[in-house]
Amino acid sequence: MESWESWKQIWRWSGFLKELKDDVLNCLKRENGYKIYALAAIGGSENFYSVLEAELADHIPVIHTSIGGVRLVGNLTVGNRRGLLVPSTTTDQELQHLRNSLPDGVVIQRVEERLSALGNCVSCNDHVALVHTDLDRETEDIIADVLGVEVFRQTVAGNALVGSYCKFTNQGGMVHPRTSMEDIEELSSLLQVPLVAGTINRGSDVLGGGLIVNDWCAFTGMDTTSTEINVVESIFKLQDQGADTIVNDMRASLIDQLS
Amino acid sequence: MVVYNFKKISAVPTAGDMVDIVLTRTQRKTPTVVHPGYKISRIRSFYMRKVKFTQQTIQERLGGIVEDFPRLNDIHPFYADLMNILYDRDHYKLALGQINTAKGLIDALARDYIRLLKYGDSLYRCKQLKRAALGRMCTIIKRQKAAFAYLEEVRKHLSRLPALDPHTRTLLVTGYPNVGKSSFMNKVTRANVDVQPYAFTTKSLFVGHMDHRYLRWQVIDTPGILDHPLEQRNTIEMQSVTALAHLQCAVLYFIDISEQCGFTVAQQVGLFKSIKPLFANKQLVIVVNKVDQQPFETLDPSKKAMVEELGKSSNCELMTMSNVTEEGVMDVKSRACDKLLQARVDQRVVGKKVNDVMNRLQVFQPQARDGEAREPYIPESVVKAKARGEIGSKDHKPKMGRGGYAVTKDDVTGDDDVDMVSGEKRKTERDIMWEMGGPGVYSMDYRKNYLLNNDDYKFDVIPEIMDGKNIADFVDPDIELKLAALEEEEDARIAEKEAAGMGEESESDLDSDEEAAVSAIREKKAILRQRKQDNRKNTAVMPRSVRGRKKDKHDKPMLDKRNVKKTLEGLGVEADGIVERGRERGRKRSRKDGEGEDGMDVEQVDTSGMSNKELKRHKREEKSKERRSVSVARSHSKVREPSQQGLRDDDMKRVATKKDMLSKRRFEGMSGEGDQRKTVHLVKWMNTGKKRNGTHNKR
Repeated sequence: MESWESWKQIWRWSGFLKELKDDVLNCLKRENGYKIYALAAIGGSENFYSVLEAELADHIPVIHTSIGGVRLVGNLTVGNRRGLLVPSTTTDQELQHLRNSLPDGVVIQRVEERLSALGNCVSCNDHVALVHTDLDRETEDIIADVLGVEVFRQTVAGNALVGSYCKFTNQGGMVHPRTSMEDIEELSSLLQVPLVAGTINRGSDVLGGGLIVNDWCAFTGMDTTSTEINVVESIFKLQDQGADTIVNDMRASLIDQLS
Repeated sequence: MVVYNFKKISAVPTAGDMVDIVLTRTQRKTPTVVHPGYKISRIRSFYMRKVKFTQQTIQERLGGIVEDFPRLNDIHPFYADLMNILYDRDHYKLALGQINTAKGLIDALARDYIRLLKYGDSLYRCKQLKRAALGRMCTIIKRQKAAFAYLEEVRKHLSRLPALDPHTRTLLVTGYPNVGKSSFMNKVTRANVDVQPYAFTTKSLFVGHMDHRYLRWQVIDTPGILDHPLEQRNTIEMQSVTALAHLQCAVLYFIDISEQCGFTVAQQVGLFKSIKPLFANKQLVIVVNKVDQQPFETLDPSKKAMVEELGKSSNCELMTMSNVTEEGVMDVKSRACDKLLQARVDQRVVGKKVNDVMNRLQVFQPQARDGEAREPYIPESVVKAKARGEIGSKDHKPKMGRGGYAVTKDDVTGDDDVDMVSGEKRKTERDIMWEMGGPGVYSMDYRKNYLLNNDDYKFDVIPEIMDGKNIADFVDPDIELKLAALEEEEDARIAEKEAAGMGEESESDLDSDEEAAVSAIREKKAILRQRKQDNRKNTAVMPRSVRGRKKDKHDKPMLDKRNVKKTLEGLGVEADGIVERGRERGRKRSRKDGEGEDGMDVEQVDTSGMSNKELKRHKREEKSKERRSVSVARSHSKVREPSQQGLRDDDMKRVATKKDMLSKRRFEGMSGEGDQRKTVHLVKWMNTGKKRNGTHNKR
């Protein structure tokens, strides 16, 4: 089963349910909503959730939910400011809860898709989406319609799980550290955002598991080094600084650390 | 990359302890019981096992020691040299070598004795062979006493060496004693090195860490060095020299121009020149220190010229600094770091390695593929918050600190978390959780953040989905109308019925009060009957003859005359007749009943004229006579002859009777069968004879 395969991979890489330790964001909660909402998992204590709440709740709704009874909200769902796609495992109750919690402008759609970990298989911003190469054609259409994006089937550094290995917003993006320069160039032209290869959580290549980001703020796992945070801040334009920082200021540090 | 951590070496016991450890372990982990009567092969294998086991234990322990200690040839030359200086390479190698040899010797010895044991022909001989083997092994261990003691000392010192990484970005501080090296270290790192106003305060290498340009840097504080030939340097100075010689680092050479350290500028320049070979291939910064005491500009021109000439000749820059005023400290630090970083980067760029990470050093800008503008979307509120400096500025603090921990007093009172601009702190779910009893107790009502048309809808008790079905699917939109119609119809029918029964009269002649009482009584009766029926159990019914009788002395008979009477009278019933009737029925067996009335003649005595006493006696006699006349003699079984009991004669009978009695006397003086207590008896042999000191011999 393909979906099971994709699950297994994510479990392995993200240290399944090592919650509230090092790589918090890795496993349970990935912000889905790009711009106007964020999803957080149900259960456990409110300590973690409130980190998101404190930063985001003034501006966008932060919603507790599970998907099909599973807490890995970020792995299972994908969305942007226009819509939210949830896998077929989502129960009616959860769907209703999401509908009640989300603003009316956001469309929710349940997708009958074999690869149920949508968050791992799809990566998108408000305009473009990269999807897993084996995704159904109907799903592709749904993504295009609901999220209002152009859809491209692509791999990132040979990995079909684009949601896990690349992360991009409307302002910039980050891809798997082993992506070749030609590939990044091609991806950058497809996505129409500046891209850089990078890691998160002290060298982890599972960007989707360690990073939540939108156009104005980002959350990273506890292990993330200051260099990594700086790369994130500059490529996603979070600090009113250009992506050029990576090229100019940080070059020496990056070279010294990476090679 | 190899990480040098010498803290994990396990402790080395002394030779005596080692012997104890080995022998007790053998004793504990091998069988201990053997008999001469066993088969000889069994006895042999018993002792062979002991010898073998002891040898294995020693092997393990000694092998562990040899493995644990670092091999000088394998570790980084800096550490190898440092250990040579501190512990003497020859001594160190010799000690480890001796341990290793001892290990080999013991192996060979064990092999020999096991071979001998194969020829042991009795338990005694086998045992002697084992003793000899173990004894000789212990002797070998004991002979290594000095090596063990030395290695333990080395281990202790080694574990206290600073954990410095020879490969990483390093700043190394050096110079004459007391020129302000340690003070600089304390300024740039948090190592908190001891600083004292005398020479050689720092006696060994110290390591501190700092951050610069997103990277972690290590700063090494070295002991001061004096200007004399290498052979004359002491251990403390040699540590500095070793660090200088082997580490790839940026060197900060400190010169105290105020000469407060007790060395003239000329001496310090001299030292620089003599150790200059050590600075080859290193980034060098000459730090002119203590400018608060002696500004560099006003320095004696000859000295100034000397120092400046030094900078020029070694092609490095001079920087002035003061630890007291902190003037120039950060400049020195960043200059040295940048120089080193630049050198390291240049080195990398020359190599091929950097090509692998080029994709991470470059930002790939998109080429426009169409005219469409793909704008970011940032909510208005965020833009406003950014303008206020709450988001997206370098000094923005996260609103929630210490995620995952309980709220402390600091969290409540400290203003760190408080959003100073908007004036109030958002009350997060976490705060509410801690107020309401903490994790596991509090659970959030997820409905409270619903975005609905009407806030009243949020906590609607009717669920939207029940048993997997949407309730809305089952709601009939006309249900209200239908219900109204039904109610209307019902009202109409009732009215109709009332109208129909208006003229009729009820047949009963009771008035309404009585009718109510009757119905209440009937109702109560029905309830009682029902209750009785419910209480009926599936058990045998007591026969009437036994029912209500007294069962034992604690039990009051229910059908006792007095009780019956009392109960009945309480209910307002005349009880005498009933009681009498009951008595008559109960008394059956008496002569009076049968023949008293007509059978016996009752003597009538005239009681008139009797004295009181006589009257009394007469009454008593009468009573007893009457009683006697009714009483029946008790029956007795006939005493039989012994012969008729199956016993021969009286003797036999006596014996039988006694046996019978004895058999009936069970557990006398005991609480029962389970009472196994043996009481203490006075034992004669223990309590007789002389009892003076020393004469009484307890057996």
